[in-house]
Formats: sequence, structure tokens, C-alpha cells
Amino acid sequence: MATETIPKIDFEKEIKRWNHFMNIIHESDPEVNPTPRQAVWKKNKATLWHYRAEEKKYDTPIFIIYSLINQPFILDLAPGSSVIEIFVQRGYDVYLLDWGIPGYEDKDINIDDYIVDYIQKGVRRALRHSGAEEISVLGYCLGGTFASIYAAIAKEPIKNLIVATVPIDFSVSFVPDKWAEGLRDGTINIDRFIDVYGVVPASYVEGMFRSITSPIYNSPYLTLLNRAYDKKFVEKWRRMNSWTSGHIPFAGEAFRQLNNDLYKENKLVKNEMTIRGERVHLGNINMSLLVVNAKHDHLVLEEQSLPLLDLVSSEDKTYELVEAGHISLALSGKLASIVNEWLASRSGEATTK
Amino acid sequence: MSNKTYDPYEMFKKYTDQWEKQMNDMIHLWSNTREFVQYAKAGTDSHTWFLEQLRKNQEVLISQWNLPTKKDVANVAKLSIQTEEKLDSLEEQLWKLQDSVDSSNKEIESIVEISSDIIKITKQLKSELTKTKKDLAETKKLRSELEELRNEIDDLTSLKEDLSVLKAVMKDDHDTEVKTEEEQELLAANTK
Repeated sequence: MATETIPKIDFEKEIKRWNHFMNIIHESDPEVNPTPRQAVWKKNKATLWHYRAEEKKYDTPIFIIYSLINQPFILDLAPGSSVIEIFVQRGYDVYLLDWGIPGYEDKDINIDDYIVDYIQKGVRRALRHSGAEEISVLGYCLGGTFASIYAAIAKEPIKNLIVATVPIDFSVSFVPDKWAEGLRDGTINIDRFIDVYGVVPASYVEGMFRSITSPIYNSPYLTLLNRAYDKKFVEKWRRMNSWTSGHIPFAGEAFRQLNNDLYKENKLVKNEMTIRGERVHLGNINMSLLVVNAKHDHLVLEEQSLPLLDLVSSEDKTYELVEAGHISLALSGKLASIVNEWLASRSGEATTK
Repeated sequence: MSNKTYDPYEMFKKYTDQWEKQMNDMIHLWSNTREFVQYAKAGTDSHTWFLEQLRKNQEVLISQWNLPTKKDVANVAKLSIQTEEKLDSLEEQLWKLQDSVDSSNKEIESIVEISSDIIKITKQLKSELTKTKKDLAETKKLRSELEELRNEIDDLTSLKEDLSVLKAVMKDDHDTEVKTEEEQELLAANTK
């Protein structure tokens, strides 16, 4: 009986495993963004991408705003692991606002600029490009916060607002409470740090989030070693790893505003935030609203998103709590399925194909 | 008797995951103190002070070498971004112009449509006028014919009157004649 539990060594499998595992270091970056797309507008480092519907079924296109922390290719990682691919297959025209990678010259860009000069203008471009009369806005993570701020001051015809894993109430967070206290009472003052750096370097952004979630982070490499004999898995892992280690710099002024206005003073929930002098009143959001949260999210708590449902004046509002994590919500296709089901009756059937 | 074979990698992963979780919890527990925050503050303050001094010295050195600083390069980049923004705003103005031209075209199209309707109605009116003129001429002709008929009727009426006068006269003559005859008869009778 004891001999049955002792594994036989499969040399071929072991050679494959260790070859794939060791080659990871030398291999170039994997290919991402597989869904065909076309750039319709470029501003500074940002690009507005258009993904044409395979067979257009809905008149209202989807405008996606991703977070500033990392790159948006997590929404179009690989065939079969892409939120955008699903939308396109289901008959939606999709526009994605890709922020690009900020440089030192972008240190003065703040949240006001991101909302007015990038999101608002991007939405106008998408509306003009698509010829649609209305548009659905989808924001992911911090992109959801920006989408909510924009929706509250938007002059453009937004039909639906969808936010996934969105931080709205910054009084609660995963940050250890003494750290949070130190940040709020100014013991840790980031202003001088931003003044000297201009933009927060990518490695610092990564370090910041890593320190909150898991300072020691070896598990992905162990998962890889465990299944490195499977070439398909290795490919998938490489794509995922290129995203998790692909943090981007954060424009200094935007980071300062995020810390002071949102994190320290929680102005968004208090309706005290202003964008270019205009007060952001979340009660102005009256379009159909879908809020999606992940049950096992270790970055954005459910309690951070829920206040949005009470603060808006929308009559048609839906809340979904999904059995997933912060990223697996997108990768598993669960987000796309929920959004597609919710949007189908709210997007108007296509009149032109 | 189990068919599952022992996988050393699986076991290794399981134990390392557990270790990682415990270590992370321990780090958070250990660092979640006021003292750690004070250390972090001291760390970031000294780090930023060091960087500030480094940047200042770099700038002095670079200006001595007559080379552009990072700020100079950033300013040039900003200029190109500003140009891009101006182009964007020009494009948006062009959109507005295009929109106003489109709306003017639509108005012109609607005016042309109305004009063609007016022309159609005018043509219709003209044909109706010609028809009316024709009808009027026929009416005039009828009127003159009616006049003639009336005159004829008048003539006939006067003829009738003449006839009746003549008839009356004839009657008188007849009466006189009868009377004369009667008188003559009476006279003859008397003479007998």
C-alpha cells in the first residue's frame, strides 16, 4: 500500500516543467490585447480604442474607464479571458480609454484634468464616432470612482452607469488601521514626497499595493512551478504575471488629490468634491446604475461601494455580489456575463448594422 | 486503497501558501502600530530630504555643463501636449462648423422642398385659371345667347301684345258688324 503513494518520476514531464519554469526569465513579454481594435483618438499618452461589434445588436455603445494603477489589458488578456471580447461577441460596440503610461511631464495632471480633458472628451469622441445618441459608461476599480464623478457632472447623454469593485467611501479600507490613521492625521505626509518625485514611480505604486494586500508574494511562482509542464497554463500565467507586475507611474497631482480629497477628507461621499469649480453631487446620477462587487476582493471592500447606491437618485439601480476576487471578477467572465445580461434590455436594439 | 498519487509540488505549494499567509498576517500585525508609522514617517522624510538635495545638486551641475535638466525636457514635452490640445480644440470647432453646415443644409433642403410644393401649387392654380378663363368665355357666350333669346322673347311678347290688340280690334269689328247686321235686320223687320 505504501508503494502506491510514492510517485514514479516522469522524466519527460519534469524536463518540461523545469524548462518552462526557467525559460520564463528569458522570454519576451507575452502578446496581449487580442481583440481587433482601432485607435479613434489620442491625447498625450492616452488612447481611445474602438472595438467593433462582431454583429451589432445594440445601439448604445459601452465606454470603459480603467484604473490608473495598472494597465487596462487585464480586460482583454487573451482569447477566452477577455471582458471586451465577450462584449464584442454579444453585439456591443466598445470604447476603451487607455490612460497610457504617464511621464515626468504629466506630474501636474490632476483628477479634474482626467475627468474633463480625458473622460468627458473621450465620451464625446465615442458618441461622435459611433453616431449613437446615448452611451453606457463602465468603470473598473478607481476607474469606477472616476466614472461616478464624471456621471455626476456629465452634460453628455449617459444612459447606463456600471461600476465594478469601486471605492466610493474611503472611510473604510483594507489599509491597516494605524497606517490609515497616520495618513489621515498627516503623520505620513506624501506632499513633500510628490513634490520631489513629480510622478509616483511604478515600483512605489506596486510596493504600496503589495504592502496592503500581501507583502510576501511568492504564491504565483509556486503555482507556476506546480503546473509548469502545461504549456497552455504557462502562457496564461505569463500574461497574468505581465499584468500583475506591470504597474504604471501615477501622476503626482492626481495622487495628491486622491490622497487629500478622497482618502483623507472623503469628499466624494460628503458631496464636497469639486471638478473645475463644479460641485460633484452624486445625487445628480439619475441614469440606470449597476454596482458589481467581488466577495473575495482584498483591495476594495463591499462597504466602500455600497454607499453609492444610497447617494444616487437613480430609480433603476441593481447590486450584484459575485463569488470572485478583485481581478478574477474580470478574468472569469463573470463581470461580462452580468453586465451583458443587465445591459441587454437597457441598450436599445440596433437600427443599423 | 487510494488511487491518488503523492505530488511533492502540490504539497510544497500548500505549505508555502500557508507560510506566506502567516508571514503576511504577522507583518501586518507587527507593522500596525503607531511606532511603525513614526518610523515610516522618519524614513520617507529622510528619503525625500536626500532626494531634494540630490536634485538640487544635479541641477547646479547640469546648468554648469550647459545641459537641459529633467524639468527643461518636461517643459518641452508639455509644449507639444499643449499643441496637441490646441489641435483637438480646433477639431472640435470644425465639428461645430460641420454641424452648423449640416443643419443649414437640412434647412435649405426643407426650403427647397417647400418651394417645389409652392411651384406645384402655382402650376395647379395656373391650370385652374386657364380652365376658369375658358369657362368664363363659355359663360359669356351663353350670356349673349341668353340675351338674344331674351330679345326674341321680348319680340314675341310684343307680337303677342299686337296680336291681342289686333284680336281686340277684330272682335270690336265683329261686334260692330253683328250689331249692324242686327240693326239692319231690325230695320228690315221694322220696314216690313
